[in-house]
Amino acid sequence: MKPLRPLSWSLSVKLPLTISAVVAGVAFMIGGVILLDARQRLRTELEDKVLAMATAVSVSTGDAVMRHDYWALYKSLKSMALRHGSATPIHSGALLGADGTVLAHLDPARHPPGLPLSGAREDERARLRAAVATGMPSVGEPAAAGVVESIVPIRAGDMVVGAVVLWISTTELDKRTWAATLTIISLTSALALAGSAVGAAISSRMVRPLRQLAKGMETVGRGDLGAVVPVMPGDRDEIGQLVERFNCMAVQLAEKQRLEQQLAVNEKLAALGRIAAGVAHEVNNPLGGMLNCVDTIKSHPQQPELLVQYFPLIDRGLNRIHAIVQALLVELKADAGRGAASDVRLEDVRDLIMAEIDGRDIVFTWDDRLGGDGSRSCPRVQQVALNLLKNAVQAMPDGGTLTFRAWVDDPWAVIEVEDTGVGIPADNLPRIFDPFFTSRQSGTGLGLWVTYRLVQSLDGAIAVDSVPGQGSLFRVTMPARPVMEEVCAA
Amino acid sequence: MTGMSRRTLVRALPALAVMPVAGTASAAVPDRVVRFGLTPVVVQENLQFFNAWRRYLEERIGRPLRFVQRRSYREIIQLLEAGEIDFAWICGYPFVRRRETDFLDLLAVPVFDGQPLYRSYVIVHRDSAVRGLAGLAGCSFAFSDPDSNSGYLAPRGMLQRMGHAPEQHFRLTFFTYNHAETVEAVADRFADGGAVDSYVWEYLARTRPELTGQTRVIEWSEPFGFPPLVARRGSEPALVARMRSALLDMSGAAEGRRLLKDLALDGFREGDAALYDGIRALAAWIGDKGGTP
Repeated sequence: MKPLRPLSWSLSVKLPLTISAVVAGVAFMIGGVILLDARQRLRTELEDKVLAMATAVSVSTGDAVMRHDYWALYKSLKSMALRHGSATPIHSGALLGADGTVLAHLDPARHPPGLPLSGAREDERARLRAAVATGMPSVGEPAAAGVVESIVPIRAGDMVVGAVVLWISTTELDKRTWAATLTIISLTSALALAGSAVGAAISSRMVRPLRQLAKGMETVGRGDLGAVVPVMPGDRDEIGQLVERFNCMAVQLAEKQRLEQQLAVNEKLAALGRIAAGVAHEVNNPLGGMLNCVDTIKSHPQQPELLVQYFPLIDRGLNRIHAIVQALLVELKADAGRGAASDVRLEDVRDLIMAEIDGRDIVFTWDDRLGGDGSRSCPRVQQVALNLLKNAVQAMPDGGTLTFRAWVDDPWAVIEVEDTGVGIPADNLPRIFDPFFTSRQSGTGLGLWVTYRLVQSLDGAIAVDSVPGQGSLFRVTMPARPVMEEVCAA
Repeated sequence: MTGMSRRTLVRALPALAVMPVAGTASAAVPDRVVRFGLTPVVVQENLQFFNAWRRYLEERIGRPLRFVQRRSYREIIQLLEAGEIDFAWICGYPFVRRRETDFLDLLAVPVFDGQPLYRSYVIVHRDSAVRGLAGLAGCSFAFSDPDSNSGYLAPRGMLQRMGHAPEQHFRLTFFTYNHAETVEAVADRFADGGAVDSYVWEYLARTRPELTGQTRVIEWSEPFGFPPLVARRGSEPALVARMRSALLDMSGAAEGRRLLKDLALDGFREGDAALYDGIRALAAWIGDKGGTP
């Protein structure tokens, strides 16, 4: 069985339960009080009645007691019982002489006249003696429960000559109390049910906006602002206000997202413009030189030495254009086509960089922990590492420390390249991955852009942390699996 | 003047007003309501019957009639003696006692089971183990009326003949002043035993069998003269004669027979005081032994 954990229950359960518990509790309490009161009232009524009945007999029997007219006494007792018997179940009754002998009893077979009252308990005898001695009527419940007993002295002149004793069964009282109990229980249950229904209605009304709010927040959390369904505020209460604020927030977030998307499109267009301008500019420079060469050669066809003189220039210019176009063509597709290069090891990158820093005052630390025979890696990863390392070497014209770290932090593969070079000014940081952005005269401005595109193609992310004058740290994080196996193998 | 109807009298009144005083007294007599005393020798529960019987008798005597009821026999006898009532249905015991004072005349004697006789029944509760009057020693006993033969005198005589002193035989005695109530006292077990008029017990056995069913007759007396209907000696002889013939003729008329059937009687016949010699002898014998309870 699942343990009950009320604290974790839904509000829509807890609220109606609480409300019905409170309603039922209050109703039962009021019912109980009413019941006790009713029982007390019925009891008092019964006592008044039995006292009145006994008194009625006592005032009419004084003479008959004096005459020892047993039959008249019995008849008056019996007719009283017959008169009231239907409304009040008389348990028994007796007329007793001052000495306690039975003058008449409603159960004459067991209590014949002329004999002492048999079976009377001591407390009863004491009450009888007290009634005869004081002449005061009494009413109460004797030790034997289930009856109300009334003792009224019979007077003849100023003398107490006997007593009327009446016992009325409390069965009727119990029956009426039980009937009242049933009524109250059913009323209370009906009230509790109604309370639960009202509670359920109230709580569902209260909980519905909360639940919608939670769903809405989840949607917002996912960033799916378009899917946020406006929550209908039920009331102008606190929940209603919360819901309204949430709706406002969702609208504002959606507006912000729309603006951001617009901005992104604008930026993309601007970047595209920059690329086009960069390409045009970069290609135009060697193109201009080469066109001059060709013009010169065309206008002096009789001077073949010019051909020898300008050909290397044309060759260089074409190579530069080729390099630019190559760099621009770095794409997943282009890369996959170069699968043959997959047996190139990451270690080769180290060798290339060692050659690059040859003679410079740079301490180079290599720490490759990509696992397995580890060094086997995808060409794109090698290209990324090579670009970042080259970049770092160039950032340290006066020497420094270059650190390469690569490890697997499942499910990620992480590559870090740290240098102690010049660092990147804060103004430039947002633009370093833009194409044709460079801080060096000789650079094409495509290295980091190409790196960025490669990392993107690997479903990874690149981050840079740089302090001008102290150095930079590039960290590439990408899914480990494609880095290690599939894409490379493909 | 005796045949004068009420209407005639009323028309005569203006004339009487101017007449001398002597005539007025005799003029009022015929109009006086005839009063008929009833004692518990007859069960008086059926008021409709008594209304019907009253109308029947009124028709025949030509006078308005009222039945007068009192709790005890003695009160009825006193009313007779005082002249408050003209007729009464009493017990044979007061009749034999009061006849000595010569103010009662036998009017008629009921015929019960073919004879003008009845008995005294000694009854106990159906579940009682007592077999006879002697067995009721130390018990409580209900008498009907101190002036009743069957409900008092006869059982005392029976005890005395058995050699028991009636005063000491029972633990407790009381009077119910009514034969029917004596049956009730025994049926309720308020009394261990009781003495009742056999006619009343038999009548009740027919009309209220659930009551008499609770009781059992354990002993009965010798037959006595049935409780007689008597007339005050001072009553108008003509009225007495009309009343007597009205009663004696009942068995001859359909309406009368219907009423007799309700009374569980065969009819009324002329009585002879000698019919009550048995009661007289018993009363005398008991009187010698002395005492009343």
